[in-house]
Amino acid sequence: MWIDFDTVEVSIKNLRRAGIRTFLTLIGVIIGIAAIVSLLSIGQGLSVAVEQQFEQLGSNTIFVIPGAASIGSGSSSFGLSPEITPSDLSRIESTRGVESAIPIYSRSAVFEFNNQKISVSIMAVEAGKADLFQNTGFMDVQEGSMITRNDSSGILIGNSVAFDTFDRDLSIRKKVLLNGIEYTVRGILKKQTSSFGGGPSTGNSIYMSLDAFNRLDPTAVITPSIVFVKTLTKEDVVDTTAKIKADLERKYGEKSFTVYSSDQILEQINQILSLITLFLAGVGGISLIVGGIGIMNAMITSVMERTKEIGVMKALGASNNKILMIFVLESAFIGGIGGLIGIIVGYGLASVIAIVGSATGFNLVAAFSLEITIGALLFSMLIGMISGILPAIRAAKLDPVAALRYE
Amino acid sequence: MKTGEIVRLKNVTKLYGIGEVVITALESVDLIICNNEYVSIMGPSGSGKTTLLDIMTTMMKPTSGEVFIEGVSTTKLSNSELASFRGKKIGFIFQTFNLLPKLTAIENVITPMWINGVPRAEREPRAKDLLEQVGLGDRMYNRPNQLSGGQKQRVAIARALAMNPNIIVADEPTGNLDSKSGLHVMEILRKLHKDDKRTVIVVTHDESIGKQAERKIMIRDGKIVSGHEKHVCQLRE
Repeated sequence: MWIDFDTVEVSIKNLRRAGIRTFLTLIGVIIGIAAIVSLLSIGQGLSVAVEQQFEQLGSNTIFVIPGAASIGSGSSSFGLSPEITPSDLSRIESTRGVESAIPIYSRSAVFEFNNQKISVSIMAVEAGKADLFQNTGFMDVQEGSMITRNDSSGILIGNSVAFDTFDRDLSIRKKVLLNGIEYTVRGILKKQTSSFGGGPSTGNSIYMSLDAFNRLDPTAVITPSIVFVKTLTKEDVVDTTAKIKADLERKYGEKSFTVYSSDQILEQINQILSLITLFLAGVGGISLIVGGIGIMNAMITSVMERTKEIGVMKALGASNNKILMIFVLESAFIGGIGGLIGIIVGYGLASVIAIVGSATGFNLVAAFSLEITIGALLFSMLIGMISGILPAIRAAKLDPVAALRYE
Repeated sequence: MKTGEIVRLKNVTKLYGIGEVVITALESVDLIICNNEYVSIMGPSGSGKTTLLDIMTTMMKPTSGEVFIEGVSTTKLSNSELASFRGKKIGFIFQTFNLLPKLTAIENVITPMWINGVPRAEREPRAKDLLEQVGLGDRMYNRPNQLSGGQKQRVAIARALAMNPNIIVADEPTGNLDSKSGLHVMEILRKLHKDDKRTVIVVTHDESIGKQAERKIMIRDGKIVSGHEKHVCQLRE
């Protein structure tokens, strides 16, 4: 048998005796693996975080947006987009599989307080339907209370508007002007950490009931800028999305509306994330290749220095294959041990990045996955073996007589 | 082993070089060494005695001819078969000791044991015993750089005996030793032959060493010039 316990033991002993050289070679592998593992860990963490946010929104949610929008392009599109009429809304709501349809109305307005003016975006929802947002984490009230049904003069303001915008902080019961019309602050939202594609950023927004919204411009006919549709069950989502889309396009034509299920958005985001993560990990992989070259260099030098030893071992009865095995194992171990340490360092690095990121407002998480761990370990051992195979073959092929007499 | 032949070279020729420049290191050599013989191989520099040694110990393959060790034709064996065969049948002693420098004495003696598959439990006791036999019981855990020349050679002898081979081959065993250590080593070789009944082959250019053998084989210019007379081995118990 080429590989047996003795061969393994001898390889490990040889590595230990080489001391510093082994250590320096290890560093190359450690850095490479740590880079890859930390990047993959953060990448996967991001993916998980995004999924969690979507989970909160509800994975049985469909977004209907007028216009041929694509993810990330914002809510407006060029040209005239069709408007969702009340009859459209009720048709959507009566589509099979739909539990409820919640239209969101939005516009911008000038917010005046303390003789200062800023532009804000306003979102309004029919009273009663605001419960949708109750547990999503977007509308957590820090001070005061949520808007009630008939409140036509109360507003909910985002954290940044309250504290980061004006010279004086806003608090509840304060009166402000929106487009010159007076409103009262009923509540202030909690500061929100940046979400990745999960939901609206509420920092600079104002929320109000539909009654309050109509007061801004009583004569205007308002249409929803987006409709959240909740399906009865998760399984209904795909079919329902298709039905709604087909229905709207029948009436308004192709590309008139964008209908996405939250799953679809999630998938697209994940795809992009995966691409970015893989690219970054690939860059990390370059350093691993350099590490592999380091192994090759160390092994070639090792073979040269141990030429006489190899000759002696052959005289003592070691076959060429045994010599080959010893050297291949040595380089495989450098890969493996470097991989193990690199994985630990990599996860540690990812955790540090996550902590630092969270402190500055980015919702970063380090993911610990068995796949990343085992994958990285096998990969590092493979790199070790491949890097060491050429020097090992050289060692195996040494002429014993010449090797013995080598000085 | 019908004829009691331990080593048999049959019409062995070894040529070096390619194309125009060809050196004949050995020319049609026939040689028989019998079981439990004490033989010395002598010749001047460039006579081919080193090549003869290398071929006899299967470290090198002849250009033509056959080599038999204990009746087995070694020229037909594969590399790993040959290595295994050599490891078990032949014990080497070199002029420059050739101990593994990073290992202790006992680890050096154990080396052929793990190479040739001796069960783990037997290795250390056997190594200790061998080192004691050569008088190094108190130096077992020293590294070569902590040992004198004579001590190193004795470790090498213990290592050569690790697989309990019949054939002991020594290449200028006293070449790097002072005269006292040299005498000690030759005494050990004599015992290996007389008491253990092993076959001892010594290659040397030193007359005082060579004459200690039962039979002296002289080689010059790639040919054996004496010591190889019609030789028939007797079966010895």
